[in-house]
Amino acid sequence: MNLDMSIFGYEFMQRALISALAVGLCAPAVGVFLVQKRLALIGDGLGHIALTGVAIGFLTGGAPMWTTLATTIAASVVMELLRSHSKTSGDVALAMMFYGGIAGGVYLTGIASDKGVANLQQYLFGSLLTAGWDEVWTIAVGGAAVALLMLVLRPWMSAIATDEQYARVAGLPVAGLNLLLLMTTAVVVSVSMRAVGLLLVSALLVIPVVTVQQFTRSFRATMHGGMAAGLLIAGAGVVASAVQDVPPGATIVLIGVACFVVTATAAALVRRVRRTWRRHLPPEGEPLEVELPRAEPSPGG
Amino acid sequence: MPVIATRGATVSYGGRAVVRGVDLAVESGEAVAVMGANGSGKSTLVKAVVGLAPLAAGAIELFGVPQRRFRNWKRVGYVPQRTGAASGVPATAAEVVAQGRLGHRLIGLPARRGDRAAVARSLEEVGLAGHAHCSVDTLSGGQQQRVLIARALATDPELLIMDEPTVGVDAETQAALAAVVADRVDAGCAVLLVTHELGPLTDRLDRAVVLADGRVVHDGEPPRPVGEHADPRHQHAHPHANGEDTDDLWGGK
Repeated sequence: MNLDMSIFGYEFMQRALISALAVGLCAPAVGVFLVQKRLALIGDGLGHIALTGVAIGFLTGGAPMWTTLATTIAASVVMELLRSHSKTSGDVALAMMFYGGIAGGVYLTGIASDKGVANLQQYLFGSLLTAGWDEVWTIAVGGAAVALLMLVLRPWMSAIATDEQYARVAGLPVAGLNLLLLMTTAVVVSVSMRAVGLLLVSALLVIPVVTVQQFTRSFRATMHGGMAAGLLIAGAGVVASAVQDVPPGATIVLIGVACFVVTATAAALVRRVRRTWRRHLPPEGEPLEVELPRAEPSPGG
Repeated sequence: MPVIATRGATVSYGGRAVVRGVDLAVESGEAVAVMGANGSGKSTLVKAVVGLAPLAAGAIELFGVPQRRFRNWKRVGYVPQRTGAASGVPATAAEVVAQGRLGHRLIGLPARRGDRAAVARSLEEVGLAGHAHCSVDTLSGGQQQRVLIARALATDPELLIMDEPTVGVDAETQAALAAVVADRVDAGCAVLLVTHELGPLTDRLDRAVVLADGRVVHDGEPPRPVGEHADPRHQHAHPHANGEDTDDLWGGK
């Protein structure tokens, strides 16, 4: 315990922890709607596109976070237009983002050869420990804004994520909300790339949500629980990576995956136990056909 | 002024006309069933009325306003066809019903007392007051259907549109549906519903419009059940048991 505390005496660790917590809080707030909309991989798609954005930053000498933000937002607008106005199916558009993003990133980095592809690696896998204070504040403010926006818009966002056709008949601004959801995803991807890296960013969008939904009954509890889980997973990941001196992004994601596997297994076991337990009780609500062969011989039923 | 008025409504999917030149008028306080075999275009007609299927020709007016310019959607309660697939993220019955109030709320503002009261009243009306905080995934098919009906009621509709609300539901849900339709019609609401079978609804309906191959082949008295189903004491305890008779009325399948 003393070891942990002493580590946080270093300023770079405080910066790492603040940015990881901000990302852990805001990513599941957006991710819960993406999971509901069955767009869980969109974060990965935008992560790949973001690579092109980083390379544009190298090429133009601009700050990679801002060029990435601009590129991913532009990509999310194009993605939404493709999805709503053409026959291109969601997964084809997603596949194009995966190939195009990586290829664009490597190609443009090749042109800006003085930076080198090796420099791309800190954005691919995250490099929390090298972030400066101004960068940390951008992450914290961006993350807080996204989380707040999603909390306030939860009923509307969940309506369009659950049943878009109903939302349209209910008179909700479906197109605008869809676009807003993709744009906030783009913001999350851009601010999280320092923490978990572009290739792993989708994990923080999805894992906390699918972990808590094993045990929740309401959308609200899933969203709030997911944000809490994201906070815990990101915090634990940074501490664990500092203690063991390993990359924080990978540690955060591995802790998340472990949490999911444990809770999914536990939930499956609980369901199984309940089912076997119920089998010994009167078969209320069970299909009648199952009980007929045994029930028939007894007279009067 | 009719609540719904379609003139020569035609809807095509991929060049093939599914609904051909349908004229339909529904007045306030009127309950109309759209009936017909599978593929007769009845669901498509209703989707066109609510703007989910584009018109190839003709015109649709809602409350006297051309449907393309109609913006006052909170006057319309819509019950979509229930899809069997469970949703990804859990949601309680109250949360789903609360979606029906979003048209009344300014975006970004919290629910007011009136919104919460409408949600509770709607759940009560379909007999699910005790299930408000249950996850929708754990409810039966009939109960899920009633949640969707409650969501449409929560908006205090002047027009209630239901797409196949009777498919695969239990007797309790059929009875709840018939009661809801009767209550709403008494309150002056117009009801348009798509169905294969009328069941307990028969006496609550003013008219039935029967489609075949996208055209109206009957517009008037709802078809009466025949045989033992004509007996007023006959209880439709098995929701699927009278399907054959109603289908036979339109020439099979």
